[in-house]
Amino acid sequence: MSLFFLQMRNELHKLFARKRTYLGFAAFVAVEILLLLLLNLPKPKAGFRKLIEQNGYGFDQYFSGATLGLLMLMWTTFLLGALYLALVAGDVVAKEVEDGTLRMILCRPISRLRVGFLKYAACVLYTFALTFFIGITALVAGLLYCGWGGLFAIAPLEQLLAMHEAWPGLWRYLGALPLLGFGLVSITSLGFLFSCCEMKPAAATILTLSIFFFDSIFRSIPYFESLRGWFMTTHMTLWLRVFEYHIPWWRIAEDVTWLGALNVTFALVGLAILQQRDFKA
Amino acid sequence: MIRLEHLSKTFKKRVALEDLSLEIRQGEIFGLLGHNGAGKSTTLGMLLGQIYPTSGEAFIRGVSVQKNRQKALDKVGAIFEEPAFHDYLSGWDNLRILTSYSAHLPDEELREAVHFTGLEKRIRDPVWVYSHGMRQRLALAQALLPCPDLILLDEPAEGLDPEGIYEMRKLIVRLNRERGMTVVLSSHLLAEVEQLCDRVAILNQGRLIFEGRWNELTADPSPAHRLEVDDWTKAGVILQKLGISRPTAETISLAPGGDMADVVSALVKGGVRIRAIEPHRRNLEDIYLKAISAAKSA
Repeated sequence: MSLFFLQMRNELHKLFARKRTYLGFAAFVAVEILLLLLLNLPKPKAGFRKLIEQNGYGFDQYFSGATLGLLMLMWTTFLLGALYLALVAGDVVAKEVEDGTLRMILCRPISRLRVGFLKYAACVLYTFALTFFIGITALVAGLLYCGWGGLFAIAPLEQLLAMHEAWPGLWRYLGALPLLGFGLVSITSLGFLFSCCEMKPAAATILTLSIFFFDSIFRSIPYFESLRGWFMTTHMTLWLRVFEYHIPWWRIAEDVTWLGALNVTFALVGLAILQQRDFKA
Repeated sequence: MIRLEHLSKTFKKRVALEDLSLEIRQGEIFGLLGHNGAGKSTTLGMLLGQIYPTSGEAFIRGVSVQKNRQKALDKVGAIFEEPAFHDYLSGWDNLRILTSYSAHLPDEELREAVHFTGLEKRIRDPVWVYSHGMRQRLALAQALLPCPDLILLDEPAEGLDPEGIYEMRKLIVRLNRERGMTVVLSSHLLAEVEQLCDRVAILNQGRLIFEGRWNELTADPSPAHRLEVDDWTKAGVILQKLGISRPTAETISLAPGGDMADVVSALVKGGVRIRAIEPHRRNLEDIYLKAISAAKSA
């Protein structure tokens, strides 16, 4: 095994061996179950029935496991995913600086750039692992509760309202997961940037979350509608475009490029800060 | 082995180190002595490339740490005052992770370092159950991998119990004698440096105030002794006649070349009963004061 992959494996080991990781994953499952129960309360259920039937489709066919899975996925990633990723990425360098373990690493003949890159790459892999975990568990929970059926996708801000048959719906759901992961990497990158600065891990997490929520809130204010394309969270919804009847590949490519550039910028600025800093007791 | 050239460091407006130039030879145990905040850890930090100097340069084996850190640190191990590990992982995992930043080492080498530091029985335990002494041993084990020829120890005995200090001292001597390692030891404990180091440098408020052999520093032409007598009035007159000064009420300082036996004989002949007499051990403060006054007069 090359040294890089050995270091990468160890970096992931550090990340996944923490108790917090398992507790976090358990929290996601708990939130999914809670959302599942809430969505099945008579009032929300009646709302969905009205919405589906107004569009000329059968409620029993489209209020299915896939539909519930998608709804759980949307809410869980927004409520908890952002928080959790900001926590992990905000900790990744800052916590090691605070604990003193980074100084132990920097006694060794390894460049700061490489240490930083390993940590960033581990966070990105973690983001995708978390996304797939949430996506699959939400789908499984939905299927177990409501069974097989078509997929009803709704996101008012993205002007998305679409119905898909069971199999095409499932494929779109699975295809959306990597794009969701890619969108969430923006939070990870922002968290990593702040984590490299001279601040406490909690401060890095709070700053990341503040920016994410401000961006998210301002984007939804009608006054800023003309500027919507400049908000990070607008591009982070690229995964929802997979559910449109005709997938706008060009628009997805544009979002991927926009987010890619943003992520690379955040990561490079973070690495540059890491390179310049003094590490003392 | 190590050459520091006019190293200076200023943190915001505070001068942590000022124009430090030093040479440390291969195979010696070199002590960096000074109070907390004297600039010892900053010096070691710059040697490891963790702190950027405001000016000056540090060289290890002729390679500039600032220009080619990776090559300069190729065969360097280090321990800090409070070694930090991932407490939720085992000692073995910590060792494996830390060494992977240097090279891909076979388990056999790791086991050898664990054996050297005497941690075999507890190496699979999570680090959070380790005592401070065990953490120091684990820190030493990781510093020994992979086969350094220079080891930097920042306050290695800090927080250890007497037995731990003794064990750590034995390990340092073994590293130097058996493996021929150059050791740079930073400490504010005079006894530790005195027992281990061939040469020392003393730092005070970021400035080098002494560099040389330990005995040059401790050699005292007018050694002091603590004296306990029954009648200080009578004794005072006799001591004055002998030209012996009394820096403190119970301390006498012999003139250069003076013999304590002559003093004792004169006191006894003068009818003074001597209850106790012992050489006065100078503390770091005394040595500082001496080094500072020597630096000033120079």
